[in-house]
Amino acid sequence: MINRKDKWFLSTAMLAVLCLAVLFLPGCWNNRDLTEINIVTALGIERSEDGKILVTIQVVEPAAIQSTASGKGKGGGAQPKPVFVLSYEGETVFDALRSMLSQVDKRLFLTTAQVLILGERLSKEGIVEVLDFFQRDHEVNYEMDVLIARDVTPAELLEIENDIDPIPAMYIKKTVENTVSRAKVKRTILIDLIKELSKSGRQPVLGQIAKAGKKVVRTEGTAAFKNGKLIGWLDPYATRGFLFATGKVKSTIVNIPADGGKISMEVIRSNGNVDVKLKNGKPVKLIVKVNLEANIGEYEGERKKVSPDYLHKLEKIFGEEIKKEIGRAINLAQKKYSSDIFGFGEQLHKFHPHYWKKVENNWDDVFSNLPAEIIVNAKIRRTGFIKNPIMKER
Amino acid sequence: MIRKVFGKLFSRLVKIESDKKCDPETNLLKDIENLDLTADLKANLHRIKQILGDSPDVVIRTCRIGWKQEICLAVIHIDGLVDKSLVNDDVMKALMLEVQMVDRKENLKGKHILESIRDSMLPISDVKNVKSFADFFDSVLSGDTAILVDGSDVGLAVSTRGWKSRNVEEPASESVVRGPRDGFTENLRDNTALLRRRIKTPHLRVEAYKIGKLSRTDVEIVYIKGIADEKVIEEVRRRLRRIDVDHILESGYIEELIEDAPLSLFSTIYRTERPDKLAGGIFEGRVGILIDNTPFALLVPSVFAEWIQAAEDYYERYPIGSLIRLLRIGALLSSLLLPSFYVAITTYHQEMLPTVLLLSISAAREGVPFPAIVEAFLMELSFEVLREAGIRLPRPIGPAISIIGGVIIGDAAVRAGLVGAPMVVVVAFTGIASYAISGYTASITMRFLRFGVMVLSAVLGLYGVMLAVIAITAHMVSLRSFGVPYLSPIAPFNVRDLKDVFLRAPWWAMFKRPRLIGHNEPIRQDYFLMPRYFTDEEDEPVHERRDHDD
Repeated sequence: MINRKDKWFLSTAMLAVLCLAVLFLPGCWNNRDLTEINIVTALGIERSEDGKILVTIQVVEPAAIQSTASGKGKGGGAQPKPVFVLSYEGETVFDALRSMLSQVDKRLFLTTAQVLILGERLSKEGIVEVLDFFQRDHEVNYEMDVLIARDVTPAELLEIENDIDPIPAMYIKKTVENTVSRAKVKRTILIDLIKELSKSGRQPVLGQIAKAGKKVVRTEGTAAFKNGKLIGWLDPYATRGFLFATGKVKSTIVNIPADGGKISMEVIRSNGNVDVKLKNGKPVKLIVKVNLEANIGEYEGERKKVSPDYLHKLEKIFGEEIKKEIGRAINLAQKKYSSDIFGFGEQLHKFHPHYWKKVENNWDDVFSNLPAEIIVNAKIRRTGFIKNPIMKER
Repeated sequence: MIRKVFGKLFSRLVKIESDKKCDPETNLLKDIENLDLTADLKANLHRIKQILGDSPDVVIRTCRIGWKQEICLAVIHIDGLVDKSLVNDDVMKALMLEVQMVDRKENLKGKHILESIRDSMLPISDVKNVKSFADFFDSVLSGDTAILVDGSDVGLAVSTRGWKSRNVEEPASESVVRGPRDGFTENLRDNTALLRRRIKTPHLRVEAYKIGKLSRTDVEIVYIKGIADEKVIEEVRRRLRRIDVDHILESGYIEELIEDAPLSLFSTIYRTERPDKLAGGIFEGRVGILIDNTPFALLVPSVFAEWIQAAEDYYERYPIGSLIRLLRIGALLSSLLLPSFYVAITTYHQEMLPTVLLLSISAAREGVPFPAIVEAFLMELSFEVLREAGIRLPRPIGPAISIIGGVIIGDAAVRAGLVGAPMVVVVAFTGIASYAISGYTASITMRFLRFGVMVLSAVLGLYGVMLAVIAITAHMVSLRSFGVPYLSPIAPFNVRDLKDVFLRAPWWAMFKRPRLIGHNEPIRQDYFLMPRYFTDEEDEPVHERRDHDD
């Protein structure tokens, strides 16, 4: 028989143990003050010629940011630089990042990284190995944009400083983000890349970044991968064709010829999907279906008024133009790179798993030799017509 | 468990105290207990003088009245507590002139003089008989005028109360934009009158108690019979009777002596200065407690939801009242949690912040030598000190201090690099938010708890904040106020009563009284009172109406 005092002691002890468990069970936590971290905004990874990993980071100096923001337009005086860029060569990404602490004062805080730029040499040799660190570390922001540097090293890109944004990484990120209104670069965030790399039936495609001038970058075009290795580039138009086919176009401007001039069509809505047609259990045709709606954004033609018949004609021309772009992308993927970036294989995997199992290992060959049918259904919705054009009818 | 520990601690302290054995006031009171007036006027007066002492404000007027000046009597009152003109013009005049005239005709000598005076000569409505010295002193010391006649062992207590009291003014701590502007005063009778003006039902009951062995403070409980729960009323009575202290100066004494959770930070008794709020509560079926000499009245049972209900919610149209109430909930939560959230996120969960915001906070904190929690404590404490000083300051220097305080907290601390600017914003907002809660007690509780949550957030991050919230909620759920769960109608959940918690339903939708409080008479009003258009064929429901003219 337990007496009352013991019972009280027992229940108190039990409660104390439970409380302690509650304190220690939730796993990793540690306290770091804001003033004790280095805020990393961009990461660049390249493979050096002797096979080591060269990691470049861009770190922000918050105080300098504030002074540049408030001192805008004042000019004069030696302003502190808002960011500094550091590189370090290590055996692995993690090794390089840690060893880098020999050059910086405070811990590196990776969650704020906006972009991850992978070098061309590294990409050609394979990106799977370096991405492993990003899957393991708990501080990685899975929403950072991943880009491939073309003809430059990531370090060179990260060192670009201009007046558009005090933080170069933000500037780069925003140029990638605005692809929603131009559809010339594919935006891939880290988590999507990791997912795509482990998927069978679809090869990843990453955005491409290049230097456009001394102080400006250009994010146009994409890099196509095959089995985790960079295999080639898609030019901006092929990129757009690819985006149309995969239904990733939000808005873009497509130029088509018109009577004696040009028309710029503004795509306002678009969806596209890919499919594989099977006959007798064998794939016979690749099908790309795109439905899109557009407005006339700019007209340099001769006509003063647009008749419905003419609009139908325009729709046809418009559709052909887009078909051309998609065809170009498919052609590149099939003939030149032999890499299924569109995800036809994924469709097979989903809807014909038995067949997919047989063909999985040499799908790239099968894919490269299939004919492709592209169906574009283009509609012109609004002519943007308020008043008769000022242009004289010739 | 906390209750157990504290209870033990307190009882230990009490034991030490009681061992010393000092109880002077019971001795003091013993000499008038069980002591009756005698028929001998001289002996009575002697005893009165003995007990009251030689106080200059005690007026004892002996006089001989009647046709032949044969009737000996004494008039006793306390100067300052009585209405002098009433005593002179009515009581004294009647005694001296009226009695003389009647005595001449009927010869009162030897008859029941006291009864005749009471029944036919004194032109004052409120007259009572007093038999014991205890009654006698209770009356006289509350402002009555006592008349003792030689030969009678009963005295008369004539109500001549009239002292200087404050006018009815707008309550200082609970002002409104729309709504009545009268507030309770220190005078209990004025307060019951203010209540009676709002509740004219004959079922309004006022029960009087005298509490405090030395102060003999008048305490009255008010409720509507039939609506208020009998059990609650009985519980209030029981708890009031239990009180055995020597003095009551403010409603806080009563509150502490009758509340359900004496060790909790949360107050389970609502207090208000507004007669309309008290009346509203009484109409719902609550019991009000009015205490003499304080403008604050108590209202039981009280639930947590009252913290976010302000008088104005009910006077403004319901959409506005509801929106403002939502705002107030936000203010309540942020006054409790905002600094802790800030501390937790900037020291543990930086990844939760958008990068740009992180950069600007980080830039503002650059060079600050303290960790975020020290910074937060520094600012919160200086704000609390400033607030406290603002209350205690003599009025003329108030503005000066608030300006200096504002400059120091807001600007100088940031420029000196002691704190970051975002922390100033957080503290300032928290400070203001804590006053958006209705009820000063509530805001004090929130401010107090805030520091605890801040410590937890500094040690455990957001996880600590969540633990604190869970602990506070668990504690609140365990509270009861006069039998009503403190968090009702949220826990125990009651959909019907939610009409007056987060939002305020329109008055035509408030069909029923709160389930746990007004269950005696749950129906408040008719259904279908929503204003609408009636066609000619349709009869508009006409309610019985009593017009003043016919």
